[in-house]
Amino acid sequence: MYCIHCGVKLQENASECPLCHTPVVTVPMPASAGRNRYSDRYPEPAQNHGKVLTLALITTVMIAAGISCLIYCLRNAGGAAWAGYVLLGEALVWVCLIMPWLFPRWRPMIFLPIDFVCIGGFLLYVCLKTGGSWFLSFAFPVTALVALLTLAGVAMMRYIKQGRLRLMSLLLIAIGLSFMLIEFFQHITFGTPMFVWSLYCVASLCAIGIFLFIASLIPPMRAYLRKKFFF
Amino acid sequence: MKKQWKKQWYRLDNAALIFPAIIRKNWNNVFRVAVTLHEQVDPETLSRAAADLKPRFPTIFVRLKAGFFWYYLETIQEAPRAEKDFAYPLTHMSRKELKTCCVRILYYENRIAVEMFHSVSDGSGAMVFLQNLTARYLEIRYGMTVPPEKGIVDWQEEPHPEETRDCFQLCTADRAIGRAEENAYHLTGNPEEGLFRHIVMGIVPTEKLLEKAHEQKVTVTAYLAAVMAEAVQKRQEEEGKPRKRMKPVKITIPVNLRKTFGLNTMRNFALAVNIGFDPRLGDYTHPQVCQLMHHQLAAETIPQRMAGRVTKNVEEQTNAVLRLVPLFIKRIVMRMVYSLSGESKGCLNVSNIGVISLPEVMKPYIERFEFIIGVQYSYPNNCSVVTWEGNTYISMIRGIRESELERLFFSRLVEEGIPVEIESN
Repeated sequence: MYCIHCGVKLQENASECPLCHTPVVTVPMPASAGRNRYSDRYPEPAQNHGKVLTLALITTVMIAAGISCLIYCLRNAGGAAWAGYVLLGEALVWVCLIMPWLFPRWRPMIFLPIDFVCIGGFLLYVCLKTGGSWFLSFAFPVTALVALLTLAGVAMMRYIKQGRLRLMSLLLIAIGLSFMLIEFFQHITFGTPMFVWSLYCVASLCAIGIFLFIASLIPPMRAYLRKKFFF
Repeated sequence: MKKQWKKQWYRLDNAALIFPAIIRKNWNNVFRVAVTLHEQVDPETLSRAAADLKPRFPTIFVRLKAGFFWYYLETIQEAPRAEKDFAYPLTHMSRKELKTCCVRILYYENRIAVEMFHSVSDGSGAMVFLQNLTARYLEIRYGMTVPPEKGIVDWQEEPHPEETRDCFQLCTADRAIGRAEENAYHLTGNPEEGLFRHIVMGIVPTEKLLEKAHEQKVTVTAYLAAVMAEAVQKRQEEEGKPRKRMKPVKITIPVNLRKTFGLNTMRNFALAVNIGFDPRLGDYTHPQVCQLMHHQLAAETIPQRMAGRVTKNVEEQTNAVLRLVPLFIKRIVMRMVYSLSGESKGCLNVSNIGVISLPEVMKPYIERFEFIIGVQYSYPNNCSVVTWEGNTYISMIRGIRESELERLFFSRLVEEGIPVEIESN
């Protein structure tokens, strides 16, 4: 049995040519007629038995440390005092670093918003505890801005296959400009002078962004960057 | 009386140093040699044969360990048991698996396969091991006696010291030859899901292949490299690039240094040379490409040039400052160097292991041999060749969906008048 397109001889049970995918025109023989060259065994997905144990151990140590701090504060200061920071800080670390490991896959579009909500909550607690008034005018918008840019970057790297370089260049420019916005929030909250340090960030990030944008328009340059920096 | 097992360790040979450092989560450098018998393989007998050979081939039954400055290989207590082959060859060998054993012994119906991490040995070393494994298997299974000739060793004797040595250290020259050369064209495609590897094997009559190679006054390796280079160039042309933007087409040929330097080892002892042509200089005829490949291969593989290139590698390995750098830093540097230059100098490998010869008593039991090298990290196709009893088995592996390169290569052979029988998974 030969492929009418490539001219190569095919296996007895072949339904198409493996080279050009031209279907075999004669009635294919049953699968048992030709010998299957490979088995039906697929490699098992990697298992990690030690992972759950390690995470449980870390969680236990964190809970023990938190409770110790709380008891110490309750006995000596009569209230939660600084133990509140420790407990909420530990909770934040657990949510951001430990919790994702409990799931079979890291899903950034689910975990990252949760992380940023927790960070916002922690900052609100610190603000209220210290009697400050900087949460709504500074911490909240800055956290929201960082969350937005991070999610945009992650979504771009994970879900978009085409035109990544161009999007990355635009994201870099957006990050640069966001520094100006952060300095603006800093100005209205703390009364610091406007646009001092952020201009350096804007200039450098926009320069890199523009370079990448131009590179994305030139195919050989794009291919060169891709080859040199693949990981 | 069975001798008491004693743990041994081996430094990685010069060629093996890079492979552990560049392991990725989804890729590492593994290859396979396989033999197909006329009768179904018995896994129990195969496991027994492997266990019998363990003391004779101490550098094969090893696991990968990390020291503070370098990786090293450590012998294992028990030979791995034969396990059923997978649905596709060269399934990923994880770091965890390498820490247990760097070799897999697989069976499926009539086939015995050995998959090996490249730090352990090269294709020639692995093929010697497979031949001996097959010989021992046949001895146990059929009660025959295989004479120690044509690569078969006496499995009961002690391993020869030269088999376990790093021969790269023995063939250096007074002057090193640099590695600088122009980057080659990069084959691309849509990656196959789940690390699946496609294998297309072309079986061609060796006599016909030799006849065509001799028509061009070149060796079979040079002839196959020429046909492959032409197929790669067609792929580059199909991309529609203007000629001035094209890249050189270069085929990487691993050269067995055992014959070049008359040294014998079971460790790695091969060096790759890149041969090809620059399409920016104009079109080439088939005889011209054959001649280019043949003469470049001949010029690059003379012992003096090989020694010079080995010297360059050995100098880096023996540099006092580099030796004192901790492994975790070395690993980062090696990965960077490999990313920037390791795979950019050639389009793909054409690895020809040559003609397999075995004692006459074994031949009636054996149908064929196979040799398959894995895909590289950044280029998706590779090709390996082995010859047994009048047939040449050309295995083309790919990690992408497109089979265009295989089609161009094998249909070119058919156009040349060489009959090709195709098998695939």
